[in-house]
Amino acid sequence: MKNILASLLLAAISMAAVVPEAMAPGKGVGVASAPLKIDVFSDFQCPSCKASYEETLRPLKNEYVAKGKVYLVHHDFPLQQHAYARQAAAYANAAARVNKYEEVSRELFRQQGVWSANGQIDSILAGVLKPDELKKVRSLLTDPKILADIEQDIALGKKRNVSQTPTMIVSYKGREYPVVGNVPDYGILRKFLDDLLSK
Amino acid sequence: MRRLRLALRLVLAAVFIYAAYTKLRQPWLLFALSIDSYQLLPQWAVLTVARTLPWLELLLGLLLVSGFGLRYVALVTSAQLVIFLAVMLRAYARGLGIDCGCFGAGEALTYKTLIRDGLLTAGAIVLTVSAFQSQRSSS
Repeated sequence: MKNILASLLLAAISMAAVVPEAMAPGKGVGVASAPLKIDVFSDFQCPSCKASYEETLRPLKNEYVAKGKVYLVHHDFPLQQHAYARQAAAYANAAARVNKYEEVSRELFRQQGVWSANGQIDSILAGVLKPDELKKVRSLLTDPKILADIEQDIALGKKRNVSQTPTMIVSYKGREYPVVGNVPDYGILRKFLDDLLSK
Repeated sequence: MRRLRLALRLVLAAVFIYAAYTKLRQPWLLFALSIDSYQLLPQWAVLTVARTLPWLELLLGLLLVSGFGLRYVALVTSAQLVIFLAVMLRAYARGLGIDCGCFGAGEALTYKTLIRDGLLTAGAIVLTVSAFQSQRSSS
C-alpha cells in the first residue's frame, strides 16, 4: 500500500514538473488553443522592443490574435545593461495582478524615453491606473511572487537560448521558429505566419 | 601548397553546404526575417535573397568539392564572404542585437560570429590567391 502511495506521489510530482510554466494573468493574449503560439521575450527599456511592440505586435494582435489564429505570450527578459528594466517589469507584473498588464505595458513602452532617463516609473502609471489600482500595484512591488515571476521568465528565456531582445519564438505543430532581435518587418512576418498556417 | 588548397576547399565546401542545408530545411520566410533584421534591403530584395542565397551556397559548396573552375569559384566565394563580413560588422557596430542568419535562424550575431566569418574570409582569400598563382606557374 505504501509503495502504491509512494508511486502515486511520484507520478503527481513528475506530472507537475511537465505542466507548462505558470503565467501571470494578462501575459497571455488570445485563445490558448490557437494553432500558432508566439512567445515574446522583451525588455521594457529596450528601444527595439518598443518599436517591435508598436510596429509589429500591435497589428499582429488585431489581425491574428483577435481572430484566434495566434496565442501571444509576453515574457519579461530585462537585460543587465538597462538600469530600470527589472523595475519596469515588476510594475507590469504587479499590474497583471489587477488585470492591467496590457495597459501598463503599452504606457511603459509609450513613455520609455521619459522613465528610462530618470527611473520615475510610478508617476507615469498614474495616467493608466486608478488610484486604488496604483496603490495595489505599489504594494505588490515587494511581493516575492512578482519577482519570482520575472525570474521564471528569465530562466525560461535562457533555457530557450534567448540572449537578445526582442526575441519571438513561433511555435507551430511542435516545431519552434526563433525570430531574434530587432523589429521584424510586419509584412514578412505576416507572410511567414500565413505560410505556416497554410501547411 | 596543394595540400593547403585542398584543405581550404574542403573546409569551405563543408561550411557552405552545411549553411545551405540549415537554411533549406527551415521555412525560407524565416531566413527572410533574419536578412531583414540587418536593415539593409527593401522587402522585395530581402525576399529575393532569401529565396536564392541558400541555393547559391549549395552550388558553391559542391563546386568547391569538385574543384571545377576553382579560381572563379574561390573568387565568388571570397566576394560573398567579404560581403557577409562587411554586413555583419556594420550591424555589430550599430549595436543591432540580431539573428546572424548564418546557419538557419536562432543564432545571435556576436563577436564570435565575426571571428568565425573573418577566418573563413581569410581562408577563401588565401585559396583564391593560391588558385590564381598555381594557374600562372603552370602556364
